[in-house]
Order: sequence, then C-alpha cells, then structure tokens
Amino acid sequence: MTANVRGTMRKRGRWKFLSWLLPHSILVVFSAVILLPLLWLLRVALTDKSTAYKIPPEWGQASLDNFIEIFTGYPFFSYFLNSVTVALGATVIALPLAVGMAYAFARYNTGGLSLRLFVLSSQMLPPVILVLPLFTLFLKASLINTLPGLILAHMTLSLPFLAWLLVAFFDGEVATLEQAARTDGATRFQALVRITLPVAAPGILAAGLLAFLLSWNEFLYALILSGPHTNTLPVGLSSFQTHRGVDIALLSAATICAILPAMVLLPFLRRYLIRGLSLGALK
Amino acid sequence: MANIVLEGVTKVYGQDILAVDNIDLEIREGEFMVLLGPSGCGKSTTLRMIAGLEEVTSGTLRISDEVVNDVDPADRDLAVVFQNYALYPHMTVERNLAFGLKLRKTPQEVIDRRIRDTTAMLGIDSLLDRRPSELSGGQQQRVALGRALVRDPEAFLLDEPLSNLDAKLRAAMRTELIKIHRMLGKTVVHVTHDQVEAMTMGERICIMREGRIIQVGPPLEVYRHPADSFVAGFLASPPMNLLKARLSGHHGVDEVDLSAVNLPIPRHRQAPLRRHAGSEVVVGIRPEDVHTQEPSDGTHHRVDITVVAVEVLGPEVILVADLGGGQEISVRQGATFHAVAGARIPLYIDLEQLHFFEVDSGLAVLHGGASGPVRPELGSYLKEGGP
Repeated sequence: MTANVRGTMRKRGRWKFLSWLLPHSILVVFSAVILLPLLWLLRVALTDKSTAYKIPPEWGQASLDNFIEIFTGYPFFSYFLNSVTVALGATVIALPLAVGMAYAFARYNTGGLSLRLFVLSSQMLPPVILVLPLFTLFLKASLINTLPGLILAHMTLSLPFLAWLLVAFFDGEVATLEQAARTDGATRFQALVRITLPVAAPGILAAGLLAFLLSWNEFLYALILSGPHTNTLPVGLSSFQTHRGVDIALLSAATICAILPAMVLLPFLRRYLIRGLSLGALK
Repeated sequence: MANIVLEGVTKVYGQDILAVDNIDLEIREGEFMVLLGPSGCGKSTTLRMIAGLEEVTSGTLRISDEVVNDVDPADRDLAVVFQNYALYPHMTVERNLAFGLKLRKTPQEVIDRRIRDTTAMLGIDSLLDRRPSELSGGQQQRVALGRALVRDPEAFLLDEPLSNLDAKLRAAMRTELIKIHRMLGKTVVHVTHDQVEAMTMGERICIMREGRIIQVGPPLEVYRHPADSFVAGFLASPPMNLLKARLSGHHGVDEVDLSAVNLPIPRHRQAPLRRHAGSEVVVGIRPEDVHTQEPSDGTHHRVDITVVAVEVLGPEVILVADLGGGQEISVRQGATFHAVAGARIPLYIDLEQLHFFEVDSGLAVLHGGASGPVRPELGSYLKEGGP
C-alpha cells in the first residue's frame, strides 16, 4: 500500500467519524431536551416536600411517600379510573365507526373531498370555541358531569382524526388484495372482514392507540364538561394547585403516574405504526 | 369454458377521462388472447372491466353469452392474476390457495386434493406452510397462478403477471403458461406491454392504443400485415424501420425517394400506390429484409451506407446504418457480421418487402411480401373499431 493510498483512507476514516459524530451530537442535545424534564420530575417525585423546592437541588433519601399520599389523601385513584373509562370508551366506540367512515371514503368516495374536509373542519377550530356550545347542549341533555358525556365529547375529537388516518390504510395495496378476494368469490363484506381488516389491523391498532392517548391527555373538554366525580387525570393534576401554592412533590408523583400508561403503550404504538405504514411491502 | 364478447364497450373515469373508447372484441372459447399496447392504452382497464373490478360506462359485456355488465365479480367465475400477485399476506400459501374454494363451500377433501394437484403441477408443494413474505418473487408468482388454477374457473385474466420477474424466470414462466393453457384449454386473457410475450404466447393478439383497438389477429398475421405504422413500429425488436419518403418518378409511383437514396418500386407493386402518387408516405423496412451480401433473386436494390453502430447480441448482430438525409435504419445480421463504425458498406434492400403507410393516419397502403394490397378486414378495425 503506498503512502498516498493510506493517506486517502485515513482521510476517508476521519470523514466517516465526523459524519457519525455530527448527527449523534444533535440527537444527544434533543434527547436531553426531552428527557431531562422527565428525570427532574422523577427526582422531585421521589424527594420529600421541603427538598423538592430547594435550588440548587439536593439529593435526599428517595422515598415513595408522595406516591402513597396521592392515592390515600386525594381521590387520585378515582381520576385514574375516570381517565381509563373515558379514554377506553371513546376509543372503543370511535374506532369501529371510524373504520366504517374510512372504508366508505376510500372505496365509495362518499361525499367526495368536500365531505372529507367537512369531517376535518371541526379539528381546524380552536377547541375552546367548540366546548362552549357543547356545554350548552350537554346541559340540556343532562350529560354534564357524566362519563358518557365526556366519552361523547372526546369522540368528537378522535373520530375525524381516526377516519382521516385510516383512509390511508384502506387505499393502496390493501385495495388490490380486496379486489383479489372479490374475484376469488368474496362479497364486499367478506373481503372487508377476512382480508382488509386483518391486513390493516396493525394500522388500525396504531390509530386506536393514538386516539386513546389523545383522550388520555385531553384537558379542556374534561375541565369544562366534568364535575367532582367525573374528573379525569389532567383535571385532577391541576387540582394539586391549591390556594397555598403548587404542591410540587405531589404533582410530580401524580404526573409520573399519569404518563405511565402512555410510556407503556408507546413501544406498541411505534411497532404497529411502522407495520401499518409499511403495508405496501407485499411484493 | 367461456367466450368473452365486448360490444361497443367504453370506460370513462370521472367526467371526461376516456380510458377505453367503444371497443368490440370477441375472445373465443379456449383461446389465448393477448391484449398488447403501451402503458395507458386501456388494456388493463379492459381486463378489469371483464373481471368486474371496473364498471362498464357503456356497451355490453358478455361472458358465455350472458350479459354480465352488472354481475358482481364474485359471481363471474373468473380468476385474475395481478401484476403484484396480491397474495393475502396474513395467510399461509395453503390458505391463500384454499380461500376461494372455502368461500364456495367446497368440501375439505376436494380442497385438499385440488391444492395437492395444483401445487404439484407448479412445483410449489413444499411451500404450503410459508407466508407470502417468506417467498421469492418467482415463488410468489407461482402461488398467485396456483390460486387462480386451483379454483378451476371459466377463464383466466392475467394482468402483466410476468413483468416483475427477471428475464430468465420470465422466459421460463412464458413457456409454462403456454403449457398450462394447452393442458387445460381454458380461455385466457393476458395483458402485457411486452411484444415478445405477445408474439410467443398469444393465439391472437389485440393491439390497443389510446383506448382503441388497432388490430386483432394471430401473431404472424399482425407481424406481416400491420394495420398501421404504430403496430409496425411496436412489434418485434428491433421493430420495423419507418422512414419518411415521397413517391416519385415518371408516373409518381416508380420510385420512393428517401431524400438521399431512391428505391425503385417493382412495376407489379405500383397499382395500390397510385392513389398516393407523388405524395409523402411512410416506408416500412423490416430489419431482416436488408442484407449485406447481394441475394441472387434479383429483387434487391443496392444502397451505400455509413455504419453508425454495431450491436453484438450473441446469436445475431444489429447494424445501425445511416442512409443519408438524416434517416437511419436497423439491419439484422448473422452472428459473424463485423463492421467498424464510420465504414462505408453496401446494403441490399428487398424491394418486394417494402411496406407503405399513409403519413397522416398511419394506415397501411401496401404490405410487403406476396400479400400485396392491404386486406380489407384488417383495415376495418381502424375504420369501425371492429369486425
């Protein structure tokens, strides 16, 4: 090997190292921006109330006292249960409806583009504009301060979004599979149930998870339409802000509990979303 | 078995996108019909209308003498093989094959027997427990074919099924499809843009362009008597050389003027050309009707050309020659032919084999060979859109 060739290779190696270093340093910065607040939250949740406020931070004995207190001294468990009921209810009811809508949009072009845009138009307004008329309606229908009322309200959020997301899963390759099934002797319904839905299942599941998280994190509708017995987690978290100030240690512990389900669901979401989006890889 | 008849069939997408324009076609019982044309010519749309996957905008579609315009695809008893195979990805090969039979409530022992026979015939019997994603392209293709065969349908509709295979596999599958057709004797409609597939597989070829049928006939018939310059320029590789020319000479039809070269027209071939005496025409010369050694039959005319390129293909050599006046022709030669680019060599053009086409319409005026003037039944496709 001549010196010249060796020099070129060294240069190439240096370039390779640089092209590895740059994106990784950017990623480290971004990860820190996202992860540090979470780590801070965890630290505060595990300290006692007085050390929680200390700046610069002090490391006391880690304890689970705050976690125990939110479940014993506050109706935190009830918030949690309400959130699960509302998010699960809204998703389970909205998902089949959205599947129907998306199928109609994708296969029959029902209502054309104008109907699709109309469905989405509710999402273009700031939620605060919608929540007031919804409040009046719910008041008349005695749905204020009820879980079914909140489920219904959250469905108005998730249904248009789900329908739009699912249209993409019914277009493309799945459409050809459905045609193959139709020429194989399947009725439209058989083709939908036996081919399209199983094949699109990862995408549908991913969309369902997204809808669940949307409802889980929703604050405004829940604040205005729910009452003391139907408060969901985001509303419950805000109640840690009292007239004496924010109880930061308890709030941190509660927040950790609130984001736990999302943390558990995210890996699944990632897996199914990728599988759902790569449905085209049939060839 | 079924015959498939299209009468005045038109397909319009949306408001005004005309995909298929008033076509008439009869696909006979047990026939291997190839729909051939460039992309966007309407051949796939035609196949999809036959399958029932697209609605017929106007016209009548009959299968086995029954109008099926409004019959559900599930009830037409046709099998479609799609270009991308469209195997159900969540099912094993066995369940893919059984799907159509199960829907028809076929007894399990019949399903098992049919799957066994079909997979043995296609050599895929060891793949039954695999998922489509675990198969190679060629294996997927066989499974897709198997899924069509196992149902024993009235007719097979093949939508460019070989286009995703590599060249070697494609050639093997061509032969296999021909064998299967011979064995089963079922009606097959095969859509392709590959003229080699069309020539080798079709009992008849239907050539389409811009939503219309240009010509229907057996491969050699279409090859020898192309209805217009489009068909002439589409079939074979290299295709017929199409040169701008003018009829000239004492009677206006004695010679054909290729700007730098003049070719005499034999007296007995002049009559059909009289209508175009003195006007511009397109002259068609097949690459195999030009020779580098003078044949002894005296029908050839010598022209001196400049060699532009020599493409060595192995069994044959394609010589690209400059006739002068900006006109180039491809010439098919034997494997031993050799020439250097830029060299001046003589070529001998067979005057009996010259084809003549109208400039504007592209319609054939005179075909090469003993056939003489254009046969009226071929031309009728162009004028009325069908026989």
